[in-house]
Amino acid sequence: MGNNKYKVLVIEDDDYILNLIETLLTMNGYQSLTAQTCDMGHTMFISYNPDIIILDLGLPDKDGIDFIKNVRQNFTVPIVVLSARTTEQDKIIALDSGANDYITKPFGSGELLARVRAALRIRRQNIPGALPKSQFKTGGLTIHYDSRRVYVGNCEIKLSQTEYNILSFLSEHSGRVMTYSSIVKTIWGCVDKGSTKKLQVNMANLRKKLGSKPGSNYYILNELGVGYRMVDEDCEIHETVAP
Amino acid sequence: MKIQGFIKDIVFSALILCTAFIIVITLHGFINIESIAPMMFVMAVFLVSIVTKGHKCGIFASLISVIAVNFAFTFPYFEFSFSLPENIFSCIIMLFVAIMTSALTTNIKKHERMQAENAREKMRANLLRAISHDLRTPLTTIYGSCSTILSNYDSIDQDKQIKLLKDVCAEAEWLNRMVENLLSVTRINSEEVSVKKTLTVLEELIDAVIVKFKKRYPDQKIDLDIPEAFIVIAMDPILIEQVIINLFENAVFHAKGMSKIMLRIFIVENSVVFEISDDGCGFPKDKIKTLFTGGGKYSSDSGKRHMGIGLAVCATIIKAHGGEIHAENRVEGGAVVRFSLEMEEDENGQ
Repeated sequence: MGNNKYKVLVIEDDDYILNLIETLLTMNGYQSLTAQTCDMGHTMFISYNPDIIILDLGLPDKDGIDFIKNVRQNFTVPIVVLSARTTEQDKIIALDSGANDYITKPFGSGELLARVRAALRIRRQNIPGALPKSQFKTGGLTIHYDSRRVYVGNCEIKLSQTEYNILSFLSEHSGRVMTYSSIVKTIWGCVDKGSTKKLQVNMANLRKKLGSKPGSNYYILNELGVGYRMVDEDCEIHETVAP
Repeated sequence: MKIQGFIKDIVFSALILCTAFIIVITLHGFINIESIAPMMFVMAVFLVSIVTKGHKCGIFASLISVIAVNFAFTFPYFEFSFSLPENIFSCIIMLFVAIMTSALTTNIKKHERMQAENAREKMRANLLRAISHDLRTPLTTIYGSCSTILSNYDSIDQDKQIKLLKDVCAEAEWLNRMVENLLSVTRINSEEVSVKKTLTVLEELIDAVIVKFKKRYPDQKIDLDIPEAFIVIAMDPILIEQVIINLFENAVFHAKGMSKIMLRIFIVENSVVFEISDDGCGFPKDKIKTLFTGGGKYSSDSGKRHMGIGLAVCATIIKAHGGEIHAENRVEGGAVVRFSLEMEEDENGQ
């Protein structure tokens, strides 16, 4: 076996789910490492330096959130959270602690693989020493970072300063859900009561200018009550939401 | 809460006793109060015991009454005398009345609470039974199909295996939808029947609904007609999403001959009306009244499922939002369900 496979560390305490994910990953050409507790996961992480971590939040020894915070102190490795917790608050806490993405149980095999691929793509972009990109492209949308111009197809879209800032921020983190508060913090610097609404108004204008309609938002996906996700660069339009 | 209730009880007791006192004092000039006063105070003690919780206030009130009667209204006036046998006797009677009354009222209150609890328990048991029944059906398919494939792996041809596995997938998806519905009910605060509302942009809600629905039914056509304006509604977005998805799925599952689903949203005064309709066979006439109660459906073992609990969940969610939901058949054929939600008052709300 060649040794150039992506190493995926799966931390999950349920035997069946672990078995399922392991099989799925192996069949799709990944090398999977498994752990069933937080401590074990940490040991595996330190010794194998995996390319991506799939993490269940409800682990027997510690809360997965602590694991994320712990890893994030020193590492940027993508973490995809796998969780049966479904409230928006849980998702927001996981994302704001540093998780790159979350999948709620139950999940389809296609969904899991798509999220893993998206997270790995983020890793490639974040390789130290890589030049900052000058442009972003997804579907018909192109953003030129240097000249701060945005095109849909060949038409230039006139955006306000704030709208451009939001769009470029989302595109820099494409494929990843950005919570309302993290966007607001980046764009306006501080969070107050009306700031989410300010963001929502800007997003509505942005969608209108980009020509998005409900059910056909090709560029920015809504995560109700959590935040927004820019569709990943150069991937098939609805890959991230395909079953 | 508890302390507040206790303070309230004390205030009530004091009020009642004062009133009794004042009445007796006023009557003082007109009639011989020596016979009236104890009666008045017995009544006061009785009232206090009924109004307040537990024994404490009642006993306390009776002690005060005894002292008041003894001190002020029996011979010798404005002087304590516990030597007279009738004084001691009236004291005992008052204590007895207080204790008996509060014991009685406490009992009645306890009984009422238990009855309510029983009713709720019964409802919960019924619901559990209904749910278990509904869960067992797909589980039968899943368990049966998997074990069939496992034990006959070499003898079943591939086509049959694929067919069985597809059934397993479909039933698992159905199970998941069921669990989602049940989970959404648990998001509703059961004691106050309220939800945690956040300001949600209508357009984003509809987008999320359509994306989620298309993921499950890629070929189903949906006609959209929603206002252009920027509309914000205070709601629990996940729950309202569930309502619309349930109504869409209801059309997919039960509207025979349906070709398209329509979602129309419009504003009437200060509320937003969501209208989900289809061009299928419509609701059965005899069921239209009980659609949202989930009743009647569980007893039957018929193959028609999903309908009852899905619509009942819709009704619960809308009610918890303080909105209204109605269903009817369209004149031109097909079913229509409308529900309404209050819009955000103005810009400075939150």
